[in-house]
Amino acid sequence: MTIQARSSKKRKQHGQDEASDTFNEAVNLEMLSDEEDKEDVESDNGEVDEFPEIDAGSEESGEEDETYKSEEDTGASGEGSSSGSQEQLHIFPEVKTIVSDITGQEKRVYPEIEPDYDSDSSTEDTPNRVGDIPMHWYDDLPHVGYDMDGKRVLKPARGDELDRFLKTVEDPNSWTSAFDKKAQADKPLTAEELDIIRRLYANENPDADYDPYEPLTEWFTGPGKEEIMPLTAAPEPKRRWIPSKWEHKKVMKIVRAIRQGRILPNRTKNTSQPPFYAIWGDSSSSNAPPLPAPKPTLPTNSESYNPPEEYLPTEEDKKQWEETDPEDREHDYLPQKYSALRLVPGYERFIKDRFNRQLDLYMAPRVQRVKLNIDPNSLIPKLPSPSSLKPFPTYKSLKVVHTHIARCISVSPDGAWVVSGDEGGVVRLWEVNVGREVKKWKFDGKIGSIEWCPRTDVSYFVVGTDDMLHFLIPPNLPASILQLTQSILAPSTLPPAPETPSPVKWSTPSSNTWTDETAVLTIHLPPSSGLPTQITWHRRGDYLASVSIGGSQGAVWIHQVSRRHSQAPFKKVRGKVQMVLFHPMKPCFFVATQQYVRMYNLSEQKLLKTLQPGIKWISSMDVHPSGDHLIVGGYDRKLCWFDLELSDKPYKVLRYHTRAIRSLHFHPTYPLFASSSDDGAIQIFHSRVYNDLMTDPLIVPLKILRGHEITKGLGVLQVKWCSRHPWLVSGGADGAVNVWCS
Amino acid sequence: MGRLRQKGNAGAAKAYVTRSIAIKKLQCSLADFRRLCILKGIFPREPKSRKRANKGSSAPTSFYYAKDIAYLAHEPVLKKLREHKAFAKKLSRALGRGEWSSAKSLEENKPVYKLDHIIKERYPTFIDALRDIDDALCMIFLFASLPSNPRIPPSLVENCSRLAAEWQLYIMRSHSLRKAFLSIKGVYYQAEVMDQTITWLVPYQFTQNIPVDVDVRVMLTFLELYQTLLGFVFFKLYTDVGLVYPPPLDAKRDESAAGVGAYLLQEASQKSDKPAVTKVKVVEVEGRQVSGRDVYKTIKNIASSSPNADDMDVDAPTIENNFGETEEEFIVQPSKSDAEMASSLPTLQSLKALPQSINTSLFAPYTFWLSRETSRPIFEFLVRSFGGKIGWPASSGGGSPLDESDDSITHVIIDRPVIEQPSETDEQRELRLKRRYVQPQWVVDSINAGKILLEAPYAQGQSLPPHLSPFGEYEGAYDPAELANEELAADEDESEIEGEDVEIEDADIENEALQAVATAATEDSATLRAAELAAEAAGIDPSTFEKEVAKSRRKSKKSSSNGVDEAETDMNKMMMSNKQKKLYEKVKHSQDKRNLERSKLEEKKKNLHKQKRKLGQTS
Repeated sequence: MTIQARSSKKRKQHGQDEASDTFNEAVNLEMLSDEEDKEDVESDNGEVDEFPEIDAGSEESGEEDETYKSEEDTGASGEGSSSGSQEQLHIFPEVKTIVSDITGQEKRVYPEIEPDYDSDSSTEDTPNRVGDIPMHWYDDLPHVGYDMDGKRVLKPARGDELDRFLKTVEDPNSWTSAFDKKAQADKPLTAEELDIIRRLYANENPDADYDPYEPLTEWFTGPGKEEIMPLTAAPEPKRRWIPSKWEHKKVMKIVRAIRQGRILPNRTKNTSQPPFYAIWGDSSSSNAPPLPAPKPTLPTNSESYNPPEEYLPTEEDKKQWEETDPEDREHDYLPQKYSALRLVPGYERFIKDRFNRQLDLYMAPRVQRVKLNIDPNSLIPKLPSPSSLKPFPTYKSLKVVHTHIARCISVSPDGAWVVSGDEGGVVRLWEVNVGREVKKWKFDGKIGSIEWCPRTDVSYFVVGTDDMLHFLIPPNLPASILQLTQSILAPSTLPPAPETPSPVKWSTPSSNTWTDETAVLTIHLPPSSGLPTQITWHRRGDYLASVSIGGSQGAVWIHQVSRRHSQAPFKKVRGKVQMVLFHPMKPCFFVATQQYVRMYNLSEQKLLKTLQPGIKWISSMDVHPSGDHLIVGGYDRKLCWFDLELSDKPYKVLRYHTRAIRSLHFHPTYPLFASSSDDGAIQIFHSRVYNDLMTDPLIVPLKILRGHEITKGLGVLQVKWCSRHPWLVSGGADGAVNVWCS
Repeated sequence: MGRLRQKGNAGAAKAYVTRSIAIKKLQCSLADFRRLCILKGIFPREPKSRKRANKGSSAPTSFYYAKDIAYLAHEPVLKKLREHKAFAKKLSRALGRGEWSSAKSLEENKPVYKLDHIIKERYPTFIDALRDIDDALCMIFLFASLPSNPRIPPSLVENCSRLAAEWQLYIMRSHSLRKAFLSIKGVYYQAEVMDQTITWLVPYQFTQNIPVDVDVRVMLTFLELYQTLLGFVFFKLYTDVGLVYPPPLDAKRDESAAGVGAYLLQEASQKSDKPAVTKVKVVEVEGRQVSGRDVYKTIKNIASSSPNADDMDVDAPTIENNFGETEEEFIVQPSKSDAEMASSLPTLQSLKALPQSINTSLFAPYTFWLSRETSRPIFEFLVRSFGGKIGWPASSGGGSPLDESDDSITHVIIDRPVIEQPSETDEQRELRLKRRYVQPQWVVDSINAGKILLEAPYAQGQSLPPHLSPFGEYEGAYDPAELANEELAADEDESEIEGEDVEIEDADIENEALQAVATAATEDSATLRAAELAAEAAGIDPSTFEKEVAKSRRKSKKSSSNGVDEAETDMNKMMMSNKQKKLYEKVKHSQDKRNLERSKLEEKKKNLHKQKRKLGQTS
């Protein structure tokens, strides 16, 4: 508080000092100027003076003000002027018109100017001569400009806010004073200035003198003031007085047209209907009419206003109708029933219906369709009834169970015995009629394939395990057969070894170690050739071919038992070999790769033909006992029947299994074949082949046998027929080996 | 080596153009293109391969034949449309500048196109045109009933109603109406004109509102074409029967809402003789002119049977003078070489002798009175088309040829419930008893049946029998009438048997064994006899035994047909080719759908029947 008070006091003092200084200076200056003023009264008179700044602060008002002042002054100074000079303000000193004594003419006489103090208003002139410059340039300086002599004009003392406030309170004229920037002090406004302000407030012309309704002075019009002489000397053109030729021509053209009746004035517009006439009267045009648009369907009973009650929709029907999109609805209306015709309301969607019909007419593409009016049952081929094609297996007669997936089975050539192998390495030998197991072998690893030798004078079968083929002799054979078998499989004098060393080794244990349990002969396939998935015998029973999953070209081997020799028939095979088959009659060899079946002539060693079944992945194939037909099954569910005489393309493609086909087999004597699939079903077909070339083979589906369980996505893995009976043996992934009898 | 073929220079790429290309080629706006397509009857086509037609792009577009568009390019209407475009610009310019007189003269000379050549082009023969007027009639009848608004000028509505009346007059005169159907959408009529079946739909008389999603411009363009088409068709139809076209309108009658009766049918010969006199005369008698003549004609046809036909007062001029001429019979000159062919040649006489499928003078012996609440245009048209005479109260419009108290009235078409009228004078009562009061459906059902049906089920206040579509449905569809007769009876039988079964089972269990015997014995006649004997021995009523046997037979038949045959056909389906299989599935699908629909309706009907019976039993 004290500090503040002190500081304010200080400032006050300082302010007072300043004020006193400026005051002194100003006084000096004023005195100086007074002296000076005497000389240049005249010059100052017309000069634009500094005017106290008011809100508008316009130049004009300043001038006006100045003129007022000067007039007032002149009025005051003019001695001979009339008393009305106060009201009649004139720019110039008042003029008197007198008749000259000398010339006798009127002359103007101006009042004489007396060169005294009162004659001019320049005494009030400000000492500051800086001119019309922005005064803020002097804001930071102690002076506000310079006077006539180049001396500084100091800023007058201005006091602080309080002083100013007190001044406004005390001084009655303070509200009519304004701040003069040039003098840096408040100056009271004159009466004239106040009057101007009042006028401006009242939206009047600030010039009190201005008369808005001055009478018009006519300078150029009126009698006696007309221009007599032309402005130019050019002669007047002809067009001013001669009518246009072209206009005349145009008009005459119209006139002529009207006369001739080509133009009908005020012709009534032909609003009446277009006249109709016999448009089809003359000979009709030769071009054919465009196809007529299809007619809309005629209404049915449900559209009646009073339909039978059963046509009325239930609540669910209504809901369903409302929920479906209008485009998808079968009918565009809901059937309704009214007890009387007078109750039938107008149909809301009538116009919409018509509009939709029109949209159909001009926007919908039209296609001409032949309407098929056929009985669908006539499309089903007429085949002989299965009951007329008996015998074929119809029921499951017995079941032998393996603990693992029964992947391979084989039926002995006499059709009395079955060997079945599973993935656990167990091979069972059992009897077809009652299913009694006679013998069981156990091998290491999975059993990939089993095949009985087709010779009837000997009896043995081959079992394929990892990299090995085992030749086994069933027990309880008649002595003669056993002897012959042993002599074939393990002859006392071995045939001479081939010149070139083969990667396939044939080995026979010594005769004294022979038991029922072990193999008489074992073929060691080259290492890493993998599990032999298929073994197939030539019909004579001397050659057998094996297909292994491993190795590329080493996958197929043909083994000759009598010479104990193995050879790989193909140096290189394109694609992975799936299956091989010997032709039953000719020295031909079928090789099925993933997509093609190739037929080779073994004696001539050349490719005969390539069959294209169109299957993505061939799984199985079998050749008809006649040797002219081949069936190929694939993992993509297709079964192709090839007529080898006919074409490379299948004669018939069937697709009836719902999963991949696993195995196919033709019956050796009956006209039957069976297919098994991963869907757990076995299909039996009647397949009659005719000897003449004209008749197509007859294929009749006979029976679907179900009874295998699907395990791990696998169904029935192999089917084999018994040679003497229409009986079928099937091995499934569920470990069951079933016998199906007729 | 053959010539190199560039892509897109031949085939589908050349034969089809997309819509945008077509518009570019024709140099017109899309709206003008649409208008042209409507008028010329050009519609998009579906190319076999959209990709090939659209230069490899499979974007969804509509394709037109390139030739169609090439023809369009030379269309006079297109030229007029271009002129109209220029005119519109000139007019708007004149209006914008405030040049009223030039705007007026422009407006007076604005280009107007004619559609005559298009009609001739689209329909080279009259039959072509007649075949295609179904949609045109529907539209005309719709617009005749619409209220006018800024988009639909009153002159258009007037013209439509005139065309509609002309068509109705022609149908009534030529007796070519064949069928009618009262649906929830409106009334369907089917006529046979020059062996062409023409079906049209007329909305009920209610004010129609044009929905916002309907483009009125399209409808008006169609209407433009239809008006011209119908004008020419009617001209031909009228002139062929010797009538003046267009028939003159009697303004006074039109003002009194006479409807169809406001138009005067004039004979062409009369007009040429003394046009002024006939006009006056026709005006006087017009109300009865058509109907009276029709009545006369039909009465003449049946004159031989009814002796009192002569005293009928005939007030209409007769024109069928040539009836009396004896027509020479074709005499067959059998050729020796080909006797059969010559004899089989049909002559006009032999064709006339054939029994007509429909009786066009069905209502000729009757006179109808329309009650106030029935729709006059519908029933006037129906009754007069079939030769009947009809009158109506003044509240339904003027021009009624009959008075309500006319003695000749035989039927009153009435559509209101029965109300007791205690203050009935004897006279009224007598009149009431003399007349038959029928509901409107009776008229339509009689027409569709081709004979006068019994009035009793359609009497006033009765609940009406269902109104069925005379147009029929697809083959094998559900037929409500058929099921009513046969199946329900069988159904009843079955349910009765079931009821008896329960009784028998309740009575003794011994019969069950017998039942089994009967079931087993159905196949073989010998065993059946044995079983019968056994049943007799057990003391069972033979009738019940027979029923039992029939039932078991039905069952066995069903099971056998379902079991064995199905399996066999399923097996045989394997041998179908892929194409056949797909076709089979398609046909089967549609068949199944229809069967489902049918069975659903049958099921519903049975349920309804059962409910009704139950109600009947309880009450």
